[in-house]
Amino acid sequence: MIGKYFTHLRERKARGIQTTLVTAFSVISISIMLILGVVLYVRFSALSREEIIQSTQKMMEQTGESLEDYLISMRQISDAAYYNVIKENDLSAQSQEIQEGLNLLYEANRDSLRSIAVYNDSGSLMLAEPVAAQKEDPDVTRQDWFLQAMEEMENMHFSTPHIQNLFDDNTYRYYWVISLSRVVELTSGGNSRLGVLLVDMDYSSISRMLNQINTMNNGQYYYLCDSEGEIIYHRQQIQISDGIRSESSKTAAACKDGVYDEVFEGQRRKVLVNTISYTGWKLVGVIPYTAFTHGMINIRFFIILLMLLMGMMLVFINRVVSVRISRPILKLNHSVMEYEAGKKPEIYIGGSREIRYLGYSIRSSYEQIQELMRRILWEQNERRKSELDALQSQINPHFLYNTLDSITWMIEGGRNDEASYMITQLARFFRISLSGGRTIISVRDEVQHARSYMNIQKIRYKDTFSVAFDVAPEAESCCVVKLILQPLLENAINYGVSAMDDCGEIRVTGRLEEGNVILTVEDNGIGIPPEEAELLLTDDRRVHKKGSGVGLVNVNNRIQVLFGKAYGLSIESEPDEGTKIVIRIPAVPFTEENRERLEKGGFSGAVQTEKQEIQP
Amino acid sequence: MKNSKKIFILTEGILAILAAATALAMLGESNGSRQKRVSVIIQDSDDSQWSAFKYGLRLAAEDLGIEMFVVSTSGQMSVQEEEELIQWEMDSGVDAMIVQPIPGEAGEQLMRNTADSVPLMLVGWADEGEPEFPVTGPDHYAMGKTLAQELLEDYGGDIGGKTLGIVSENEDAPALARRKQGFLDGIAGQDASVLWTVSEYGERAEYTLELQPEADFVIALDNGSLVSAGKASAEKNLHGALVYGIGNSAEAIYYVDFGSAECMVVPDEFNMGYQSLSEVAGSLAMFSGGMESRTVSHTVIRRENLFTEENQEILFTMSQ
Repeated sequence: MIGKYFTHLRERKARGIQTTLVTAFSVISISIMLILGVVLYVRFSALSREEIIQSTQKMMEQTGESLEDYLISMRQISDAAYYNVIKENDLSAQSQEIQEGLNLLYEANRDSLRSIAVYNDSGSLMLAEPVAAQKEDPDVTRQDWFLQAMEEMENMHFSTPHIQNLFDDNTYRYYWVISLSRVVELTSGGNSRLGVLLVDMDYSSISRMLNQINTMNNGQYYYLCDSEGEIIYHRQQIQISDGIRSESSKTAAACKDGVYDEVFEGQRRKVLVNTISYTGWKLVGVIPYTAFTHGMINIRFFIILLMLLMGMMLVFINRVVSVRISRPILKLNHSVMEYEAGKKPEIYIGGSREIRYLGYSIRSSYEQIQELMRRILWEQNERRKSELDALQSQINPHFLYNTLDSITWMIEGGRNDEASYMITQLARFFRISLSGGRTIISVRDEVQHARSYMNIQKIRYKDTFSVAFDVAPEAESCCVVKLILQPLLENAINYGVSAMDDCGEIRVTGRLEEGNVILTVEDNGIGIPPEEAELLLTDDRRVHKKGSGVGLVNVNNRIQVLFGKAYGLSIESEPDEGTKIVIRIPAVPFTEENRERLEKGGFSGAVQTEKQEIQP
Repeated sequence: MKNSKKIFILTEGILAILAAATALAMLGESNGSRQKRVSVIIQDSDDSQWSAFKYGLRLAAEDLGIEMFVVSTSGQMSVQEEEELIQWEMDSGVDAMIVQPIPGEAGEQLMRNTADSVPLMLVGWADEGEPEFPVTGPDHYAMGKTLAQELLEDYGGDIGGKTLGIVSENEDAPALARRKQGFLDGIAGQDASVLWTVSEYGERAEYTLELQPEADFVIALDNGSLVSAGKASAEKNLHGALVYGIGNSAEAIYYVDFGSAECMVVPDEFNMGYQSLSEVAGSLAMFSGGMESRTVSHTVIRRENLFTEENQEILFTMSQ
């Protein structure tokens, strides 16, 4: 199991050089890109967060300054009303001047002022601007601004926002104001008594100022509270009062100026605190952590898009580079594979110096192998030729001896015509036997050779048997190894018909059958037992009782040496019935080219090549 | 070789698809999703009685990221006028509506038709029993009863022999009927008699009140009637009758502040606006379309407690 697993792993490892290069390049470059992207994003986020905090601080400083300016201007109004108007004049004698002075101050600042009023220490209205009917018994002595002023006489006091409950201007409206109150010294008829100067600031001036900076839609907001944490302005003031929302104003009020982290109602947020001078009010900026990422979503998308595009580009570049590097190696590999398959004899030479050298080296190796193979093939052919020559050389001597002996007897017996005929047949026989040293002749010549032989033998055996030749013309024009019929005929005579009295018949036939040439030598002799017939083609050590000694084994071997094991002899024989020997050879048209090719071992060479191709 | 090429094309294809998807997401983020639009149709929308309600709507819209707008109307609308306005708003593609229905069967039918097309929240409405539509508003019956209790409290629980005049802008309106029922149930068992009942709108109410016979108390069941009664009282045209009423405007409070009205029950109109829109926004966000009725509280304001911190905030919302 484990072995299989490792085998599988090893198989998986054997991937192409190009895939390896692309994978390696891509993994390295994309990893670097990812690390770079994450680092950049983290750095950018940190910078962006810093930037948001800094801009919020700056905004708060500016708003704080505006608020301070506004409150200072209110204090200046209070100072001017007191020191320049009220303190300088007697209420009873110069009430007109005081009223005019207050009127001047009010008119100059009416955009941010709701009213200026002076009450004596018992809460009675002494003066008011703008002049309006006082509500029936507003009882100012119970109002916070009055109480605060009387409590700490040396200070000016800013109240939290409240509804002004002093005058009736017949508009059916109620005004939301912040009261600036202080104790003043009132002079009336030369007598001094304490009073309270009230400057009611229009709350809308402050709310407008803070509304202007509360425009962000990312969850970031600003609010204003007093030193006790009582909310002066909050964009969700009513929701907070109604309990729909809540705010950590008490905590913020207790903080000094600075930036703080807090978790409020499960939400992490940055709280920036800025104290407004003199009043002790706190301007508080709140940045939920979600606000830092609010504008970052598009940045995230942008970075992802950038990384994807870079990824695409890197994959493309990696492929181009790896293809450039691996192409010569792949071409070399391809050419080697084609060479091994025998398709393309050329080995690729190209690419870098190292790969060129490799190509040259492989080409040289293959050339050497080819040369060696050529030499081996030549040597094999030579060896086969030698074998053929050796086999053929076994045929002639004995037959020649017998024939010459017969001719001698004829001449001595005065049968000169027969001797002459026999010599002519012998000459024809040897002409074909020699055939200019060729091994391959046409079937026609081979049959002629057999005829000559049989003519000689018939004379020798005094026509005690008959011979018939029946060879198809199309078979006659095919190639055949020479001297294959003669040994068979010799055997047919010696073992078949020689012992018969004038009734021996030998029949030689030839035909084309399924691309093969089938030659048969058939006799009606005594036949061969089956167990002996089997040995005729395999046992070449058998002692020949009669004949030249060139057995069927010799003929069979010669055919198979030249045409291969698929061809050769087959024997069909029955005792007292006769024997039929069949020669099967491929039907190769007899041309000079085919002859040469066969003599060089071309037919068996071609067969070998085909086998190599089939083999994987 | 071929495999390598296939993997290369596949990788580039996948990266290209991812890049396109990211670009589309970026584009979508830049454009932002369309804010839900909610239209509000109330009668006489510029009247001061709606100030706190509209302020509540505005703040809820800011908090919840809803595009809200109040359709400008003047005076009392007919069913046909309201139908035209609703149709106009629906044609302009609103996602939900908050509507003050016109009392009567035709008005109710109009609401049924409207509810079939868009999510609908009603205000200024009271149903007997199980409400057919989601309604945000005060408990009208309880407000009437509270008013009766305040009256009784002023007289030690006994107003025997006293006479009452009841004024409302539209006695057919279910909400006002519930208030009246609550009030009458509140004084049940007292030997007090309702001398007259007036149902008039605007200046005509003031004129009609002057013509009514003298009563010990004038009970105003809605803001308009309370303002009319307060004004008549301020001008000494109520034959010395003391005014008790239900209202929700700074003008009505003014009459309490200046002694023209003794007591005033104030529904939390700010919350009515805030919660009605919150409910609508919630249903739009959840795609369920289901809304539930919400009941808001009410407060008793008298001259003595007018400037308490809580009541100042009520005044603040009414002054927006």
